[in-house]
Amino acid sequence: MPTDKNELHRGTLDMLILKVVAAGPLHGYAIAQRLQQISKDYFQVPQGSLYPALHRLEEREWLDAEWKDTSTGREAKFYKLTTKGKKQLQAEVLGWERLSDAISLILRTAD
Amino acid sequence: MRWLRRLGHKPLVEKRLDSELHFHIEEQIAEYIARGLSPDDARRRANVEFGGVERFKEECREARWENRLELWLHDVQFALRGLCKNLRFTIAAVLALALGIGASTAIFSVIYNALVAPFPYKDQGRLITMRIRDLDQLGHDDGDFRGLLSYPELRDYMEQNRVFDGFIANCEIDVVYDSGENNTFLAANYVTPGTFELFGVAPLIGRGLEPADYQPGAPPVFVLRYATWINQFGSDPNVVGKTFSLNGVRRTLVGVMPPRFAWGGADLYMPRDPETVNVMRGAYPQYWGAVAHLKPGVSIEEAEAEINVIAARIAPNYREDYPTHFHVSVDSFVHAVVGRGFRRTLFVLFAAVGLLLLIGCANVASLLLARATTRGREFAVRAALGASRARLIRQLLLESLLLALGGAVIGVLFAWAGILVLSSAMPPFTIPSETVIEMNGWVLLFGISLAIVTVVIFGLFPAVQASRVDVQDALRGAGKGLGGTVAKSRLRNAVIVAEVALSLILLFMAGLFMRSFVAIENVPLGWQPDHILIGRVPLPSQRYKTGPQIVSFFDPLIHALKSTPGIEAASPTSTTPPYGGWSGNIEIPGKTHTGEWESLIQLVGEDYFSIVRQPLVSGRSFNEAEVATARKVVVINQTFQRRFLDAGDPLGRTVILDALKKLPDAVTDRSFQIIGVAADAMNMGLERPTEPEAWIPYSVSGSLMRRLIIRTASDPGSMNATVRKAVWSVDPTVAFAEGAPITVGLYIFSYAQPRLGFFLVATFAAIGLLLVTLGVYSVIAYSTSRRTHEIGIRVALGAAPSDVLKMVLKSGLALVVPGIILGILVSFALSRAVVSQLWGVSPYDPFAAVSVVLLILSIGLLACWVPARRATRVSPVTALHYE
Repeated sequence: MPTDKNELHRGTLDMLILKVVAAGPLHGYAIAQRLQQISKDYFQVPQGSLYPALHRLEEREWLDAEWKDTSTGREAKFYKLTTKGKKQLQAEVLGWERLSDAISLILRTAD
Repeated sequence: MRWLRRLGHKPLVEKRLDSELHFHIEEQIAEYIARGLSPDDARRRANVEFGGVERFKEECREARWENRLELWLHDVQFALRGLCKNLRFTIAAVLALALGIGASTAIFSVIYNALVAPFPYKDQGRLITMRIRDLDQLGHDDGDFRGLLSYPELRDYMEQNRVFDGFIANCEIDVVYDSGENNTFLAANYVTPGTFELFGVAPLIGRGLEPADYQPGAPPVFVLRYATWINQFGSDPNVVGKTFSLNGVRRTLVGVMPPRFAWGGADLYMPRDPETVNVMRGAYPQYWGAVAHLKPGVSIEEAEAEINVIAARIAPNYREDYPTHFHVSVDSFVHAVVGRGFRRTLFVLFAAVGLLLLIGCANVASLLLARATTRGREFAVRAALGASRARLIRQLLLESLLLALGGAVIGVLFAWAGILVLSSAMPPFTIPSETVIEMNGWVLLFGISLAIVTVVIFGLFPAVQASRVDVQDALRGAGKGLGGTVAKSRLRNAVIVAEVALSLILLFMAGLFMRSFVAIENVPLGWQPDHILIGRVPLPSQRYKTGPQIVSFFDPLIHALKSTPGIEAASPTSTTPPYGGWSGNIEIPGKTHTGEWESLIQLVGEDYFSIVRQPLVSGRSFNEAEVATARKVVVINQTFQRRFLDAGDPLGRTVILDALKKLPDAVTDRSFQIIGVAADAMNMGLERPTEPEAWIPYSVSGSLMRRLIIRTASDPGSMNATVRKAVWSVDPTVAFAEGAPITVGLYIFSYAQPRLGFFLVATFAAIGLLLVTLGVYSVIAYSTSRRTHEIGIRVALGAAPSDVLKMVLKSGLALVVPGIILGILVSFALSRAVVSQLWGVSPYDPFAAVSVVLLILSIGLLACWVPARRATRVSPVTALHYE
């Protein structure tokens, strides 16, 4: 079993990927760019580690992949969100919000 | 199944993965170049930021597998954790299954190896034998008349049938192998042309017998059985091609057969075309045992019809050899060789083992039901958290599957051990010597299918039950204080009642077997088997045809033996107890009767009665002079006297032994004077009542097989070599054959089979009892623990410990007593099926029934008593807090 730290990290990364892809089909490089952009370079991880996550999400059928030409005319693998993926994203966002609410509540009232 | 498809296109998948990752890096490089970096710097930076390409490729591959595995691993882990958390339950369930599966696999192994494929011979299922039956004597051994054929008959059947494509025969012949220093008796078979081709077993060394060996004038050859090669020829491969003196003829050994080839149980095989030479044994022309192979598409029934047409046509040519009304039955060779009695024993054992398996399943089912109830809350919580019903069923089934797997693995180990025990305990001569009892593929398959069927039976039901939990009820904790829903506890109780009933049936059967076995072991023999050595003395018929010739052999031998230290007395005899010889007609002068009068006739020497220690009730035995001169005197037994003679002194009266005219050297004067009456002794084996018997001096006739019966001072087996040497020094062409203590024969033919049956059924019954004890205990302990709260209230309200004890015991008896009643009823209904296996005991034996009922009742009470005691110690405070 992976350690809790990895688990958390992996789960968070998965959620962020789903969120990014929810906007429309993207290839891996574009997803990496978006993640970096949005998080303002908060995640200091090798960009390659995005790909195992993408493949895992595809395997779970949360993402669907297709080979298409990019605007520059090169062939690339585009990922898009499936219905299952949408549900999963909703569930995870909900869970995340609950958790962060709960944590903020504790932080605010525990003093 | 996308991953499956991907497995087939691995190179493409790899290429795609590669281009996906490189696309990223190249886009990044392009980006950096666009931002003004040199191409080299851009590449370096992009590569550093990406990390190791190969490492991520590997992680991508893993991500896909991991995902599948993870779900399974998670479920398996969950199931394992569940099983480990309740280790006592798991051990009990796995053991119950393993015992059932192990025992039934072991017994199925024996049934398969002994009844379905006992031989190493080609296409054994389509080999047949024939037996002639007397339709007027069907009540006696199904009218069995004979199974062996004379040679001319054999030729008629061979030539006239159109249903067989192979037809061979063998006949037994005694062989004395003279090594120059001593001689050894070997049981040989003459075999007819085509024998080795029909069986299709390749020799271990050298060759089998070939058509040329049967030609007149061919050099004499023989083939050895493996066991004989090992025991008599020291497993020396160089003996093939050498020449040995067998019955005075020098024969060349041409081959040794592999271990399982034991056709006819012979030590060696010699070619003989009966067309050219008639085989004699003693003064009789030898009869042949025939085996034929059915042509493709011909059924046994068709073959039987054809054989009976031929038999009806040829019977008038062999008047003496066929009864007036007869039928030739054609049977599968496999069935004919494995005795019907033993076949029945095996099926009874299989039924017993089936019961055991049922008990095991019932036990596991009741354990699972009890557990499913306690886990009702857990499942309700999980259902509330969103686990689908399918998922819950899958998990429970997985748990059962793991249990069954554990049961199957341990069961196969049990089976393996059981087969080892069984094959060493198997009584000799109940199964053919070719048979090897081993766990084979079929048997293993049977064991595994049993495991799977068992899973479906006990796994699915509690799974469906458990998943049908009412979420609301369970969460509120309802159903707990009541000991589960009513329907569920009713089912659980029914399972326990059935389990008690099944185990009672098994125990009752074991009880009957035990009573029957004890009855046989305690049959008073009427003589004393200790310190007696017996063996056959096959006399060559050319030189020993008449009474005086036989005396010329035995007289010096008996004198020599008597003066040998360690030997108290020795006597020739025609048969050995508990068999009293051959049965033939007798007459008493001046007495008329309806129907035939028959008596057993045994030819003995003067010391016979003192050797076997069979007392005479009046008169005397023979003296040496009467035996030496073949005086017409006879000793009869008490049954003979009661049946054929009036009250009054039998001594001095005359008996006509009419049967003696049928011997090849017919006795002309068949009037014998009674000189003594012997006490009755068993003379038809141990399971039939004593028949009339007459003993006469062995010198009266030169026919019949002769044996030696010797009383020794110490262990009779140790005198075997001495006796062999003594026989050899009287006549080197004669050998002392099959010498063994008489107790060995008694054990093999009389005690071994009932003992094996009893031993096995008793073992099964003991295991069944253990399982039932566990089952009753687990259910009572479980339901009592469910009632802790209630008991607490009762104690708080003033109930005495004895009241609590009574209450729990009563709930236990409510399960055990109906089980006992049901079990006894079913046992009595079933026990007629095993009546053929019993001897000297009624299938409704009250002694067995009462002891079995008492045993189950006390075991049941004991199983309830432990949890009941625990309940009385409940403190009301703890109990009321117990939730």
